[in-house]
Amino acid sequence: MNTIWALAGVVIKELYRRKDFYVLFVLTALITIAAGMVNFFNDPKIVRYVKDICMLLIWVSALLIAIVTTARQIPAERESRTIFPLLAKPVTRWQFILGKFLGCWLATGMALLVFYVFFAIITGSREQYWPWLTYLQAIWLQWAMLAVVIALSLCGSIISAAPSSTTTICFIAVAGILLVGGHLNTVALHQAQPLQTIFYTIYFLIPHLEWFDIRDRVVYDWGLLNWLDCVRATLYAAAYTGLFLLLTWLGFRRKSLNT
Amino acid sequence: MKASPYLVLALVLTVCFTLATGIEPRASTWSDRAKSNNVFSMLFGDGRRLFANQFFTMADVYFHSGYYPSVFDLREEGQKEIVAESHGHTDSPEDEIKEDFLGKPKDWIDRFGRHFRITKHTHLESGNEREILPWLRLAADMDPQKIETYTVGSFFMRTHLNRPREAEAFLREGLRNNPGSYEILSELGRLYDENDHDTGRARDVWQLALHKWAKNPEAVKDDKLAFEEITVHLAQLERGAGNWPQAIHWFQAAQKVAPDPNALQQRIDEIKKTMAAQTNAPAAVPH
Amino acid sequence: MSIILKTEKLRVEFTSHEFRQTTKIALDSLDLEVNTGEVFGFLGPNGAGKTTAINVLLGFVPPTRGAAYLFGIDVRQPIARQRIGYLPEMTYYYKFLTAEELLRFYARIFGLPRTEADKRIDQLLKLVELEPARKRPIKSYSKGMQQRVGLAQALINNPDLLILDEPTSGLDPLGRMQVREIIQRLKNEGKTVFFSSHELGEVETVCDRVAIINQGELKASGRVSDLVAQHHGNLEKAFLDIIGYQTQSAS
Repeated sequence: MNTIWALAGVVIKELYRRKDFYVLFVLTALITIAAGMVNFFNDPKIVRYVKDICMLLIWVSALLIAIVTTARQIPAERESRTIFPLLAKPVTRWQFILGKFLGCWLATGMALLVFYVFFAIITGSREQYWPWLTYLQAIWLQWAMLAVVIALSLCGSIISAAPSSTTTICFIAVAGILLVGGHLNTVALHQAQPLQTIFYTIYFLIPHLEWFDIRDRVVYDWGLLNWLDCVRATLYAAAYTGLFLLLTWLGFRRKSLNT
Repeated sequence: MKASPYLVLALVLTVCFTLATGIEPRASTWSDRAKSNNVFSMLFGDGRRLFANQFFTMADVYFHSGYYPSVFDLREEGQKEIVAESHGHTDSPEDEIKEDFLGKPKDWIDRFGRHFRITKHTHLESGNEREILPWLRLAADMDPQKIETYTVGSFFMRTHLNRPREAEAFLREGLRNNPGSYEILSELGRLYDENDHDTGRARDVWQLALHKWAKNPEAVKDDKLAFEEITVHLAQLERGAGNWPQAIHWFQAAQKVAPDPNALQQRIDEIKKTMAAQTNAPAAVPH
Repeated sequence: MSIILKTEKLRVEFTSHEFRQTTKIALDSLDLEVNTGEVFGFLGPNGAGKTTAINVLLGFVPPTRGAAYLFGIDVRQPIARQRIGYLPEMTYYYKFLTAEELLRFYARIFGLPRTEADKRIDQLLKLVELEPARKRPIKSYSKGMQQRVGLAQALINNPDLLILDEPTSGLDPLGRMQVREIIQRLKNEGKTVFFSSHELGEVETVCDRVAIINQGELKASGRVSDLVAQHHGNLEKAFLDIIGYQTQSAS
């Protein structure tokens, strides 16, 4: 476990020493503050649109941080050849993958926390209301979803050596699941065979990341989600994360690494 | 000969300035976009109108606190449509949501996923209606010719949010962008009548609305409901002011296009009765 | 004297999937034995298979046939690498870390306690003369400094066997001399060093024994002095004779 934590530590240091996170955070903060300063019909109590915009920016930024950070991990290790002195030490390839995963997940979680604190300050200062538990559920579910996304990106980076192509493919896949994934069964109903079977198969195979998007509940003040459902969703995310990590390991364990 | 870099820089700057002063008067006639004080107009040009419907729909989504069908849900057949809360302003598709569009869960994924979605049909109330205003403002900026934006926005501001002056300003902005709009004038008349109780201004505005309606051949052919609405408002205004013949005149005008003329006839009869009672009243006084 | 590194009939084939499927034999029946405490030079021209052999020893490439052992343990077991240090040919370490952070990271991988790791990091930074630059990010280091930080990471666990792949490649004469001195010091401490190199002069200076391979096959091995004596000249002449290179003057 010490090895995995050590590997994760390097990934976390990388995130906060690179400029990606700061750029995204400053961009989110600027857009949110600018949106919040717009005067609509002299009514200062209007707040939901600011929450909506800020949440959208948080989601996009978190996905970018997670996918971009993860997709470059293994290719960068190979390109800079740091993987060789690393794997020449008593580090198994499974530990290497787990370390990279944990690092990316923790780093993204830290970034997410900063974003949510900003969100809470901005919206709370306008409506004088802090539903902490709702925020906690939102951040937890988003973080659980990002675990699946990170594992998927790690798996993609084993298949494709170019971080840019892994990033693009993962981003399209995740955006596709979030926007269409939950409606594939409806789409399938209107298709003829064999398309119907294909759509249903995809629907039952993909991780349903859209469940973890409870932005509407936060923006429209729908209150807390059932905690048991939170636990179930977490287990679901853990299962898919495990699946993708296993696939990553299967692809990486026998891979020849030529110096 | 070696030229000083500062001299070259000064020369280039002079050339730039000279070119700019020469080109600027011509360039200003090339396109109106750069001169626009609307950021969306500058960025998207006329293409911004594409976003207006989306923002108008967002206002509807907000009004229903996120309970809203997606394009996939709208494909589902055999569902009952309801008008969300048109308040007589519009019955355009943007204002409609399909009640129970979710239907019964199709599978376990759908069933479990609903725990995270908004599955309850509600409307904003207690002043929270204000949350729809940013989207209506954006819709108006994106497509200043979309009349429903002004009427719906004004309706909520004057009836739910007690902001008649902002509502009036919004309607006047709509009028500047759509000088021939009898719908906006009709709404403005309601504001003067119901909020300001200014009978004279309301009368003038509604009469102008009727004038605009009559000059619009498409409206005369297809939008008889607007004529009925304005004439009934005028009739009620005159009835309230005690101008009985005027009130009867407007009710009779409305009867020509009303789907249920008998209901209006009842009101005319009521006025006639009141008129008769007033005429007979002095005779009833004992000497 | 015990055997610390051993290969038995090692064969590695690479199959190319581009255009037509072709198989290249990178190593064939390679038998090597390195004893405790000796400095062993692994020589060969470019493409001879030196790096492939090292890759097999480190578990990066699985052998097609044969076996390799470190400390008597099959190299496929990660534990075989617990007591080794490895310096790859030219590596660009994590640019965003400082030398100290890099060494602490590797120390954690070996599970060194904090106090021991601190002590070891101080010693190594002094050894590779990077003490003044310990807090600077690696991205600001020169090529020579990067190679020395690489050497420091290879020594973090105080290894009994050091595997160096072209340790002086790309370094200026001063850098090469510093690396040579470090190897000499390690030899004096009783460490075993296995290194591949093109620099025959430095091999002759520091090595006890050498093995020469060409086209994946072992051509010769033995004490440097014996090989030099057999070929009536210096190590360079012996090397050229063994790989079958005919100089123009000779022909």
